[in-house]
Amino acid sequence: MSVAPDIERRWIAPSIESREQIDAIIAAPILAPRHTWRWWLTLAVSGGLTLLMIVTVTWLFGHGIGIFGNNTTIVWGFPIANYVWWLGIGHAGTLISALLLLTRQKWRASLNRFAETMTLFAASMAGLFPIFHLGRPYYLYWIIPYPNVQGLWPQWRSALVWDFWAVGTYITFSTLFWYVGLVPDLAMLRDRAARRGVRRLYGAFALGWRGSARHWEVYERFYRYMAALAVPLVVSVHSIVSLDFAASLEPGWADTIYPPYFVVGALYSGFAMVVVIAAVLRWACSFEAFITVQHFEAIGKVLLTASVIMGVSYATEWFWGWYGGERTERHLVTFLFTGPYAPLYYGQLLFNVLAPQLLWLPRFRQSILAVTVLSILINVGMWLERILIVWATLSRDYLPSAWRIFLPTFWDWALLAGSLGAFTFLFMIFARVLPALPAYELGKTWAEENGA
Amino acid sequence: MPPLTRRGPGLDRRLLLKLAAAAAAVSTTRCSPPDDEIIPYVDMPEGMVAGEPMRFATTLSLSGYGRGFIAIAVDGRPIKIEGNPRHPYSLGATDVFAEAEILSLYDPGRSSVVHHGEQIATWEDFAAGWEQAVGARPDDAASDAAVGLVTGRVVSPTTLGRIEALRRRFPALRQYRYEPVNDDMARAGAKLAFGRLVAAAPRWDEADVVLTLDADPLGHGPEQLHIARGFAARRGAEHRQQLHAVEPAWTLTGAAADFRLPLAPRQMGEVARAVARRLGLDLGDPVLSDPQRAFAERAAEALATAQGRALAMAGDGQPPELHALCHWINGRLHAPVDYLPPVDPVEAGHADELQALAEDLRAGRVAALVIVDANPVYDAPDALRMAEAVAAAPFSAHLGLYPDETAQHCQWRLPLSHPLESWGDARAADGTASLVQPLIRRLYDTRTCDEFLALLALSAVRDAYGLTRETWASWAGGDFATWWRTALHDGVIADSRAAPLALSPARPTGLPPPDAPHALTVVLSPDPGVWDGRFAANPWLQECPHPLTKQVWGNAVRLAPGDAARAGIADEDTVDLVVNGATLSGPAVVTEAQADGVVAVGWGQGRFSPAMPIAHGVGTRFVGLGARPFSRLLAGAEIKKSDRSIPFRSTQSHTRLSGRSEALFQLATLAELATSRPEREPAPPSMLGIPPRGDYAWAMVIDTDACIGCNACVVACQAENNVPIVGPEEISQGRDMHWLRVDVYARPQGGAMRTGFQPVPCMHCELAPCEPVCPVEASVHDHEGLNVQVYNRCIGTRFCEANCPYKVRRFNWFAYADGQAYGDFAPALKAQHNPDVSARGRGVMEKCNYCLQRISRARRAAEKEDRQVAEGEMVTACQAACPTRAIHFGDLNSETSDVSRLRRAPRHYRLLEELNTRPRTTYLKRLYVSDAAS
Amino acid sequence: MAVTYLVWQSPYATNQLLTRDQPVPFSHAHHVGDLGIDCRMCHTGVEKAAFAGVPSTHICMTCHSQLWTNAAMLAPVRKSYATGQPIRWRRVNRVPDYVFFDHSIHIAKGVGCSTCHGPVQNMALMRAQEPLTMGWCLQCHRHPERYVRPKDRVFDMAWQPPPDQRSEGARLVKAYRIDAARLTDCSTCHR
Repeated sequence: MSVAPDIERRWIAPSIESREQIDAIIAAPILAPRHTWRWWLTLAVSGGLTLLMIVTVTWLFGHGIGIFGNNTTIVWGFPIANYVWWLGIGHAGTLISALLLLTRQKWRASLNRFAETMTLFAASMAGLFPIFHLGRPYYLYWIIPYPNVQGLWPQWRSALVWDFWAVGTYITFSTLFWYVGLVPDLAMLRDRAARRGVRRLYGAFALGWRGSARHWEVYERFYRYMAALAVPLVVSVHSIVSLDFAASLEPGWADTIYPPYFVVGALYSGFAMVVVIAAVLRWACSFEAFITVQHFEAIGKVLLTASVIMGVSYATEWFWGWYGGERTERHLVTFLFTGPYAPLYYGQLLFNVLAPQLLWLPRFRQSILAVTVLSILINVGMWLERILIVWATLSRDYLPSAWRIFLPTFWDWALLAGSLGAFTFLFMIFARVLPALPAYELGKTWAEENGA
Repeated sequence: MPPLTRRGPGLDRRLLLKLAAAAAAVSTTRCSPPDDEIIPYVDMPEGMVAGEPMRFATTLSLSGYGRGFIAIAVDGRPIKIEGNPRHPYSLGATDVFAEAEILSLYDPGRSSVVHHGEQIATWEDFAAGWEQAVGARPDDAASDAAVGLVTGRVVSPTTLGRIEALRRRFPALRQYRYEPVNDDMARAGAKLAFGRLVAAAPRWDEADVVLTLDADPLGHGPEQLHIARGFAARRGAEHRQQLHAVEPAWTLTGAAADFRLPLAPRQMGEVARAVARRLGLDLGDPVLSDPQRAFAERAAEALATAQGRALAMAGDGQPPELHALCHWINGRLHAPVDYLPPVDPVEAGHADELQALAEDLRAGRVAALVIVDANPVYDAPDALRMAEAVAAAPFSAHLGLYPDETAQHCQWRLPLSHPLESWGDARAADGTASLVQPLIRRLYDTRTCDEFLALLALSAVRDAYGLTRETWASWAGGDFATWWRTALHDGVIADSRAAPLALSPARPTGLPPPDAPHALTVVLSPDPGVWDGRFAANPWLQECPHPLTKQVWGNAVRLAPGDAARAGIADEDTVDLVVNGATLSGPAVVTEAQADGVVAVGWGQGRFSPAMPIAHGVGTRFVGLGARPFSRLLAGAEIKKSDRSIPFRSTQSHTRLSGRSEALFQLATLAELATSRPEREPAPPSMLGIPPRGDYAWAMVIDTDACIGCNACVVACQAENNVPIVGPEEISQGRDMHWLRVDVYARPQGGAMRTGFQPVPCMHCELAPCEPVCPVEASVHDHEGLNVQVYNRCIGTRFCEANCPYKVRRFNWFAYADGQAYGDFAPALKAQHNPDVSARGRGVMEKCNYCLQRISRARRAAEKEDRQVAEGEMVTACQAACPTRAIHFGDLNSETSDVSRLRRAPRHYRLLEELNTRPRTTYLKRLYVSDAAS
Repeated sequence: MAVTYLVWQSPYATNQLLTRDQPVPFSHAHHVGDLGIDCRMCHTGVEKAAFAGVPSTHICMTCHSQLWTNAAMLAPVRKSYATGQPIRWRRVNRVPDYVFFDHSIHIAKGVGCSTCHGPVQNMALMRAQEPLTMGWCLQCHRHPERYVRPKDRVFDMAWQPPPDQRSEGARLVKAYRIDAARLTDCSTCHR
């Protein structure tokens, strides 16, 4: 079948002439790397931050979590917010990949590989924070049901236990999904690799993939089934995370809106992060041919939708705060707008709801720069949302005598920055040893688009 | 303070050890418990059972007056002070000072060795030095040396005897006796009214109407427990006693009053004038504004109509004439007051004595200066330049618990024994005598006052035990052994109280008119935590929040809103307070309903002895102001915003809660109470299962009408439950550890400020929000309705506290129990720790557990005798301490129990009832006589 | 997991059956088994207090000032008595500091010495008979009827559960007012 060459529908730039060329471009950064100063610089910076993270954690385990800004009433702080934020980011990958696959969105091909990778790394970052935030991290394993001499079990009614399983499952699944997607490309690398060792290495991971028709037939079915499983999983994870707050008695937390609100928020920040990474890769690994303006435009539309939903969610919170008529709930809403955290709150509203409205205008949607900048703002905005969820409620709950304000310490910031660094660092390594884009899928798309 | 904090950058020793330990733990495969030892007695004392608490009656003094308490010791370690029901100035209760003495005993900062200059010396060296100084030949005891002896208020028979002995040896001896917190004005007033020294002892439990003029009888002090119990007894559930308080700035008395009038100190006499007129003594027309006059007349009317049951009293800051007038009013009202011969034999005024000391020293009239348990260098106003005066003495020795400011300027620094290591005796404010007995062998080579004086006097008997017995042997007569044992056991010496005198006050001829209004008046009062400064080195008391401002680790300058606005000063700004030349700074607290033109500051802080690291540099030394010592009022002060910045550290940031607190701190008038009917226990449905009830259903009911906010419960809880000290930096971080906090409420209502205190321990909710959220079941319910925290199971997610609507849980952000955050109190606290309670490690949550260890002990005792725990047998630490019996505790399973009855009372309410947590800790409403504006 | 569990509950980790060297090789086998001295003779606190009490040197000397007055193995005891320096015994049965175990209440409720301490009358040197893990404690705290015995048999080292222990125990649990439900409250042992 052949499709009329319609520029709107083409997701791969016309500069590409053959599938061979695609493989070449994608394999280039791995088999024939040209380490520019940009690469070294990014590596150095992110590496430094990763070190900072290690230092912070050592200090943390040495001195105790008192080094953070938490206090008697605001017992949760940065680590919880960071955890929710990172986990949110960890959502886009699997979802993009799975959902777009099921809905047969062609533009998925250029994004899914690094989006999935982002998921892995972000989720791992998220997974660390609950451990760092524990008073006695070395007893984390008490959350796991294991045979023990005390004859004790975890307390199954606790949202934290559900959380543990949800996130655990999610990380495991995402890893599998990601690896399955990699197999054909690993084979491709095996075949292209010049040095014997490298060939052996990739060969081992390629699990003897030969690309026979039967291979493909089994592979496609399996991959789709996994995708089908992935979607509900993605939705469940952040719903459950949201219960850490919703399944409580606190004003501003005990709201039924939380699960959907968290899921959308997660995708929102996730997609935004995809945009940022896409922009970087495009610039760093010269993938202009595969990651085109249209990709940014497509995601721009998703972001726009999400921003509207977020707006509605916030409004809903205000409404119920007022309509519920509960003294504390009402006071909490006014506190957000007038209290000491107000600037942060206005920032959150600006970045998450107002600014993205620019995407209604094609001019912005079609500007890579604009979409990228907006995405960065959105990520900041989403982090502010997370931290305010934690702070505002705990700062102003039922008994005024217990009201306090949270003052972050150096270590709070250090750990946040450190996690960002570690995330980037891992990504740099990934881009160097694995294909950042799925060559075979792009090949397929190209073939369809060019009727070859 | 900085050198004490264990935080801040740098790989300190603790961290290194921890890492090393961690490394070791990782490297060792064998995870067996450490190999420890059991070291039995060689010969166990008779009647002792290892590990079981033993109780001994003893006496602790405050400002010289003795109060009898029970000290509890385990395996020879005193761990807790409790009230002694037999002693009239304890009546079974304790105050913050008594509770905190336990910590002082173990305080590593105590003086422990004899110092001569900077040289470490011995008592023998000192004795030699002394004999040389007083120029006596060894064989001849008598000496004409001009010995100056500085003491606080001395009422202990033994000590008085020792001083006599000393005077026999040194006929030229001059004793300078002063107490910073004294009753000079009252004494002068009594002289005016009765022509002789008399101590007025009101019988509070017989007074239906009380008028206080700039007096704070319910405030802290040696008589607080006695007065508070009488007050509570009379006020009772029906709120029979109505209290009219006229005061410049908030006091505990004002907070408890039904009618309160903020009034400039100089105008107090005017209210008395109005009352006198109503009682038929015209001293001229009172100079008062209309509302003030109305208040005065209502008070006068109430007094007049309560003949025989009414009482008026003036404060220590007020002039003798006013005291005399109050005596007359009381006489006229046939007020329930006993007039007792003064316990303190010294005639002279305290301020005069201190002044005399300064002058004599400067004039070189003192050859050998001996200071016993007093601190003139700190207490005296800067104007007296006491430091150099003391330093000028040819020979000077200081016997004290701490290397304080005075010790720094004396040639000899001598360590004093702590009361809990001493034999001795004391008299209470009404003359009741009681014995002091040691609970533990002296920790260091120290001496008691009596032993020291005996040493100076070369007495035959030199040990406190002998000296004390010597004193009483003559007094007791008959079978001394039995008498002695009884006296020790009871903790009070039978019929030793002074007999009341039959006196009638003179009719005052006049009352001086109020002096002209001046810019600002500074009102000084002793600090409710560190008192006159003697407890400034005690971190429990430093960390015990000021009842009204909730300030810890410091003292504030309390301003009326008007004055603050005029000077452009906001809450928590730092203020410069200028009084005749001298400038002192402190954080400002702007207080509603404080009389305009009044600046209220506290004594006792701002200790400056470099050898006392805990106290050093905390707060400001306002006692240094003024020309005369101990003046309670300083006219003509100025305030301005300071360019310095002194942090205001408090545990409650929002004390004024107008409009938001009706549901939280509930009020009722007597009228409302009469119409309201007893409530039934509501039982709204819940999706969570209600935990089943076992043999007992423990519950607590707190009567906010009886609570006077004295903080005794807070410190008692800290002592009983090994609650750690966190230190000023942590408090600034918003972290505190008290399991029991006392929330203060103040809101304008009906034209008056309605104030009150609400002690908030754990609510022990039947449907506890903290329980379902804990992932490891560290927060669980037991069958007696306790919501217990299993420290050793806690992993520190802190979800429980996040989900606690009452925010009563406390988290160990650092290893507080090991002194990681503040000071190195670990060794001291280890000795003080209650062995029945786990010391919590870093990273675990802790909270009030209704003194689970006491419940368990009571239950085991009962079960061994195969019976139920009886009503009143189980008493929590806070309940035991409470001087007004505001805290009730008991078993809900019994319909007749105290708590069951109170939970059916019309005044009963639950905090945040709408959340359906079904708290086991509930409250009784604060009552007011009427809604009339105060 | 299974492996770690096996290690955790093994004597290797719990010190079960571990015999420690003592300053004086005191033999329960001799004093209890051969001479039949009652536990309370030396462990004076066992009925009154949480801590059963290790005998003071004085108690040892009540007999040994007459018997074996110059036996070499008793030298440390005599030395302690002479110098006033206590004998430093090494702990055999150990529960963690956060466990508040009370001997007296167990005695009062019909839990025999041998139930936890085993046949000390046969132990030449003292050893921990049981693992003393929480799981072990719970066996009895969940099912006291399997272990309680008549109060008059508490100090009987030779006592063996009768064949009808199930019913007999249940009867005793009722008679001694043992509330099995409350026995598994955390607050029963931890505070």
